[in-house]
Amino acid sequence: MTRLYLRHQTALSALASFAVIILVWQLAVDLGYVKAFFVSTPTRIAAEFMRQLQTGELAANVSVSLFEFVVGLALAVAAGGALGVLASWSRTFEHVLEPFIWFKYSSPTIAFYPIFVAWLGLGEPTIIAIAFLFAVTPIYANTLSGIKHADPDLVRAAQSFGARRRDVFLKIALPGSAPLLIAGLRLAVGRALTGVVAAELFGATAGLGFSIAYYGQKLRTTEMMTSLVVVILLGVVLTQLLASLEARVDFWRTGPGR
Amino acid sequence: MGQIEIRGLSIDYRKPKSDETFTAVENVSLSIEKGSFVTIVGSSGCGKSTLLMAIAGLIPRARGSIQVDGKEVSKPGPDRAMVFQDASLLPWRSVHANVRFGLELQRWTRDDIDERAMRYVRMVGLGAFADYHPHQLSGGMRQRVNIARALAVDPDVLLMDEPFGALDAQTREVMGDELLRIWERDKKTAIFVTHAIDEAIFLGDRVVVMGRNPGHIRDVVDIDLPRPRTAVMLDSPAFVAYRKRLREYIAADMQSLQMVEDVV
Ligand SMILES: Nc1ncnc2c1ncn2[C@@H]1O[C@H](COP(=O)(O)OP(=O)(O)O)[C@@H](O)[C@H]1O
Ligand SMILES: [Mg+2]
Repeated sequence: MTRLYLRHQTALSALASFAVIILVWQLAVDLGYVKAFFVSTPTRIAAEFMRQLQTGELAANVSVSLFEFVVGLALAVAAGGALGVLASWSRTFEHVLEPFIWFKYSSPTIAFYPIFVAWLGLGEPTIIAIAFLFAVTPIYANTLSGIKHADPDLVRAAQSFGARRRDVFLKIALPGSAPLLIAGLRLAVGRALTGVVAAELFGATAGLGFSIAYYGQKLRTTEMMTSLVVVILLGVVLTQLLASLEARVDFWRTGPGR
Repeated sequence: MGQIEIRGLSIDYRKPKSDETFTAVENVSLSIEKGSFVTIVGSSGCGKSTLLMAIAGLIPRARGSIQVDGKEVSKPGPDRAMVFQDASLLPWRSVHANVRFGLELQRWTRDDIDERAMRYVRMVGLGAFADYHPHQLSGGMRQRVNIARALAVDPDVLLMDEPFGALDAQTREVMGDELLRIWERDKKTAIFVTHAIDEAIFLGDRVVVMGRNPGHIRDVVDIDLPRPRTAVMLDSPAFVAYRKRLREYIAADMQSLQMVEDVV
């Protein structure tokens, strides 16, 4: 019993602190310390959640945002992965890309939003472009560094069996960098979601970010916060999915030594 | 003429952060008979690995020549296979898939590659561990996989760079015994680098003694002990005499190192 408790201690403490916050939030409003207008309440949000679930509003918003997220992320994986591989093959190409990467690292991506509106108009294409821009850097950076830092001992062993460059890439560099690639993907997932929601706040006709902005402008706090909660849930689920994938790919590094 | 003919071999490395070169191996000549077991001893840094990797075709040479079966060595080839000191196994591959690795790289036909890999996994006594991954194995087991991987590609020459260097004395002896048992089957030419004198005598038909500054061959000692070799021989007068002789070489080398360090 004690052991079981210890094993789940972190999960339990997290759950407990979460429950306390929910309770304090609810009581603060019910007892009249804070106006529901500012923060809504857990019960109101739960009720609104059920309502949106029944009317299909929730499904509609989630599917629009998820679509933009998936397309933006897929483009980022394709482009970032391809550029990372090319840069790992050619020093020159890596150096050509470097200024752009630094530029991207040091500038707030969302500042590019108006340019994309000018190019692609308000709405889906721009949102996808922003999600892409948010997600592409970690994919590129992790692909490049994962492949470039292939274990030299393994490369030498492969060469002693007559490995060609393509063999080293396919059989050593790529599988060896899988954990780093997945880590890059995990970062990209979080960033793509941020990009979608942020872009939807500014100009969209559907989606979770749109819903937050729409109800926010109408000062309907409960509806707004319901969409916010859904965004958070979506982020948690996606991140957890990636974490479990990461653990599976990384199994060979979890043992003692190597 | 031996199967491996090394003549006047010198190998230079580029010094770090400069254009100067540094000679790691100088003017080495050595002739190795087909099917013999040659061990190379010498203190650390005397160029044993360098010499072995040059035979493997992994590093370029500055002067001299290396011929295997009359052909000049310029790059790795299927006639030679190398066993490295540290577990250079692919950590994400199982034991079986690691042994397959060399076969895949040498483009063996798909059909028998799995079966062949499995045969060598069994040969080194790891049949029950075929699906294990390197991080689940002991150091000795990992080196068995390493040896199986090299043997599986059926090389004419087996090059081993301190394969048991990281193992404890007990495991080391067992591994030496087993290596000989496997070697006796088809007597592939073997070149085995070690810094353990007993190991060099126990395994070898000939012991090549290397010295340093720069790396060179001091002597080649023929080991006239019957095969199969057994642990009892370790205490035989002949063995003790070889040990004494080789120790003197190494001690002299260490002294010269001491002098160099005193000057610096
Ligand atoms: N890649 C390298 N670049 C420069 N110097 C090297 C390199 N590899 C080895 N050396 C040097 O060559 C000498 C011989 O090294 P090595 O062949 O590894 O010796 P051993 O295997 O006998 O310990 C050492 O002085 C070492 O510092
Ligand atoms: Mg060495």
